[in-house]
Amino acid sequence: MDYGIYQDKLTRIVTDIARSHSLWILAYGTGCGAIEVPATMTSRYDAERLGVRGAATPRQADVLMITGYLTVKTLKRVIRVYEQMQDPKYVIGFGSCAVNGGMYWDSYNTIKQLDLYLPVDVYISGCMPRPEAVLEGFAKLQEQIRAGEARGATKYKDNLDYYRGNQKKIIKNWDFPDYNW
Amino acid sequence: MSILGAIATFLLAFVVGMTYGGIRRKVIARVQNRYGPPIYQNFIDAFKLFSKTTAVHHGAMHLLGPAFLMVSAVVALMIIPVLRDNIWFTNLNFKGDLIFLIYIMTFGPLGMALGAGQTGNPNSAIGVTRGLSQMVGFEIPWVMALVALMIKYNTTSVVDLMNVQNEVGQWLIFQNPFAFVAAILASLGMFRYAPFNIVGAPTELASGPASENGGKFLFTMMSAGSVFAFVKLTLLVDVFFGGASNLIELVIKTFLLYMIPVMYGVVNPRYRTEQAVTYFWGWPLLFGFLAIIYSVYF
Amino acid sequence: MNIIILILILFFLGAIITAFSGKISALVQDILFLIVLVVPAVLFFTGVDMNTESIITFSQAQLTFGMTPLSYYFSLIVMGLAVLAGFYTVGQMNGKKRKGYYYLNYILSIGAMFGILMSKDFISFFIFWEIMTWASYLIVIYNGKNVQKIGIKYFVMSAIGAYAMLMAIVLIHSITGSFLITDLISEYTGMTQGMQLLIPALLLIGFGVKAALMPLHIWAPDAYSNAPMSYTAIFSGALSKMGIYGMVIVFLSLLSKVPEGALIRDIVAWLAAITAAISTLWAIKQDDAKRLLAYSSIGQLGYIIIGVAIGTPMSIIAGLFLAFMHGVFKSALFMVVGAVEKQTGTTDLTEVTGLIRKMPWTFLAALISIIALAGIPPLGGFVGKWMLYESLILSDHFMLVILVFFSSTAAFLYCYKILFGFFLGQEEKEWAHVKEAPAIMIVPMVILSISSIVLGTYPQLILKPINAAMMSFGLPDTYGNLWKESILFNKWGNQIALAPIMYGIMLVFVIVTIFLFFRNRSRTRYVTTKDISTSGEIIKEHENLTFSRGFFQPFLRAVEPVMKRQIDKYMLSFAKGVEDLFEFTRRIYNGNGQTYAIYAMIFLIILLMFGKNLLG
Repeated sequence: MDYGIYQDKLTRIVTDIARSHSLWILAYGTGCGAIEVPATMTSRYDAERLGVRGAATPRQADVLMITGYLTVKTLKRVIRVYEQMQDPKYVIGFGSCAVNGGMYWDSYNTIKQLDLYLPVDVYISGCMPRPEAVLEGFAKLQEQIRAGEARGATKYKDNLDYYRGNQKKIIKNWDFPDYNW
Repeated sequence: MSILGAIATFLLAFVVGMTYGGIRRKVIARVQNRYGPPIYQNFIDAFKLFSKTTAVHHGAMHLLGPAFLMVSAVVALMIIPVLRDNIWFTNLNFKGDLIFLIYIMTFGPLGMALGAGQTGNPNSAIGVTRGLSQMVGFEIPWVMALVALMIKYNTTSVVDLMNVQNEVGQWLIFQNPFAFVAAILASLGMFRYAPFNIVGAPTELASGPASENGGKFLFTMMSAGSVFAFVKLTLLVDVFFGGASNLIELVIKTFLLYMIPVMYGVVNPRYRTEQAVTYFWGWPLLFGFLAIIYSVYF
Repeated sequence: MNIIILILILFFLGAIITAFSGKISALVQDILFLIVLVVPAVLFFTGVDMNTESIITFSQAQLTFGMTPLSYYFSLIVMGLAVLAGFYTVGQMNGKKRKGYYYLNYILSIGAMFGILMSKDFISFFIFWEIMTWASYLIVIYNGKNVQKIGIKYFVMSAIGAYAMLMAIVLIHSITGSFLITDLISEYTGMTQGMQLLIPALLLIGFGVKAALMPLHIWAPDAYSNAPMSYTAIFSGALSKMGIYGMVIVFLSLLSKVPEGALIRDIVAWLAAITAAISTLWAIKQDDAKRLLAYSSIGQLGYIIIGVAIGTPMSIIAGLFLAFMHGVFKSALFMVVGAVEKQTGTTDLTEVTGLIRKMPWTFLAALISIIALAGIPPLGGFVGKWMLYESLILSDHFMLVILVFFSSTAAFLYCYKILFGFFLGQEEKEWAHVKEAPAIMIVPMVILSISSIVLGTYPQLILKPINAAMMSFGLPDTYGNLWKESILFNKWGNQIALAPIMYGIMLVFVIVTIFLFFRNRSRTRYVTTKDISTSGEIIKEHENLTFSRGFFQPFLRAVEPVMKRQIDKYMLSFAKGVEDLFEFTRRIYNGNGQTYAIYAMIFLIILLMFGKNLLG
């Protein structure tokens, strides 16, 4: 994880605690699972207690939620959006389609295993997951960040060739630059 | 002006401004029948933004934009009197007056607008034009209220206006209530809470000028925003409520004044830009006229 | 041979020689042009002082020339701009046709302006005023486009002003018997009340045309934008100040001496305030940078006229200071637009974008001049505006303060529009070839920008000549009491200190800049404007994401009721009405001999039938 100047352990601990309590989600619903996100954010289940807020553009966001199925066409845009986010960043796989293809496991157009294309930190299973499950997913992510284990961004940079290979295999009209950060 | 005093003032403005932002989020949450984030949430957000790495920049003007904003906020802070007769917080008080203050407060957002312009995102440009149009709207009643006070007491310095309330024995809000109404209605536009928050609307406009700014840029924008909020509140307290002689009084007065835009905003939807501009040229302008007539003839 | 006459002869002969030297070579023409502009400036600043006076006598008339403190102040602007804009012109006119014609009229304008400032009697004043008018008319029609609409409109408005001035001069001569300006001033208090109001009103019409006061301003937007930008730099920077110079003389030496003069001064101040407000709104609407700056010039001149018309010492200082600053930053802005036009071929704000990395010096000059125009401290424009506001509040003109503040806040809108439109925003590939303007065009711009910074920190540099000019009109000496170093005091004892604040600003700026800029420089990568967050897409070559049309559409929708009425339309319909009247008269006097024969016959018949009753 590229911590910049925060290399020593004490600063890292404090920084991770701060990062875990202020997660900004990119307002991007990739699939039908996104319908549970507003329910989590509004008054009944109130994700803002945990510091979770919506962010408008990838430059401001921390967390990218892959909500539901991911078609190949959306995957191309999601990869660009993921690479435009600033470090440190996390990915949450939301719904059973992100876990193993879910309801669309024999479709010609969706992907089955998200981990081949993006480094995922937390999966939330369900179709769709109820807001309580979403909140528990956030809590799990917070624990991982505090333990220093949420290293998706570094893993992506270190294994860029592996991820790119997988992406180019499935996306036929790849016309993006080599890296977007 | 001592360096320690300046740093103390800046820290005071930063801490108080951020806390007020957190209290605002709590108030909004409670009105919406939920618990909301803790009061210190803004500090956590700021710390998190500070610790993000920045990967790309769009040129020199983009990097300098937030610097302009911070400079303008700090200079405005140095000029307004924070406390009455206190050696820690005097800074540059005797060197400023209201006209200088008004122009310095517009310098920052203009610099930020230029910085956001260089990124090339059309959303930032649209947001900036909306912000400037709204500014033309609320500046008129704001200036009318201040001019009414300047004429009556023959001074353009904020320190003098603060001291004149001691001599007269009554706060200026009672001396010229029309000016206070015009000023508080204009300050609704200055804070950019609902219904005047079309400038940085998150999903309508991809947050306007902040759309390409993440990480440390956004940290600077947030801190400068909270310092500006503190500056505006302190200015209103000094001019209309007799200033404050110690920190507790300052915090109480600014907090009560801050609740007015927050409460008004929490129940209101958003105005379009031309609706916002014509709103400011309706009732607030009328109160501004009444304020000037009142101070000339009574 | 007196030095003033020498300078005038240099200008006029030099103009003719330069015009014809084009036959030798273009380089010789350029060098001669520069010599004809620089040498008189040097001669003026070294050789002329308050005591030089020269009289030329023709058979019946005497022309008197000499310098007064006020004309010294204005000649600083004229001569300084002449030299800087002269260098700029040489760069901008490189390779254009009919250079001799252009240089001739350019030098004639400068020479005529100098003549106006030096003349002490009305005949020479009027002669040079007319030379200035037709020299500028010839340059306004230099492009050959729209000669009817633009050139004739300018000429007719100038003619209206000139004939009003001529009427006033004839009246003055019939009352006082001489043409000297000093004679008019001394005899003014003895005139009848009608004359006391009529003569200044006529003179003000003449000066108001050049100073673009409503409703006489209709020529300005077209004329400023149609002339080549190197001429508009002195057109708007120096030529409009000739109107201001005349107005200052009228206000200070004539109208302030009589109590009824206050009425005319108030009317002019209100007209100027409305000019400032409405022309700012029109400037926001424009899409062409030249017209935007033209309307902005009209607005700034409105501020100056308010300052001069109100008449208190501080407001006159404010007006004169703003006149100088306007000359400095507005000519720099017109030079910027000219440089952009030379490099890209167009000044349409909806087409040109993203030039900041290609023309960085031009952007720097534009940025500093825009900051000075907007009146932001610590640059020079703020000092003038501060003094203007103080004087308006002190003299109980509250509504004027509101109008000036409104116009000043609305000025931020078009300031952002011109900066964003040319330099920021998306970079399009049709402008990828654009390079920086040649150095001879950049240096004058940068010098003007630096002087607006310097004048902001040390306003006493020109406050001293202003004070000398005002003392010559009998106003009290304000320099010692009100201005010390770079601290400005107002009447109530409140002060603002500019130098320490500026250093404080710079210190904070440097600290925060180091924090963001240098620390991250090694870690961040420069990306073009194509790499923005556009919902996960890459911007293709053919996609145009420039935001430049309908730039302030919501605001313009909000102020539309005010902008529906245009003085241009009123004047055109008035002209059309007069033309219809003449058409009607043409039916009677239709030039046909047989109709005239019938008229003569009818007249004879009437005489025969009723002649006895009429005559007897």
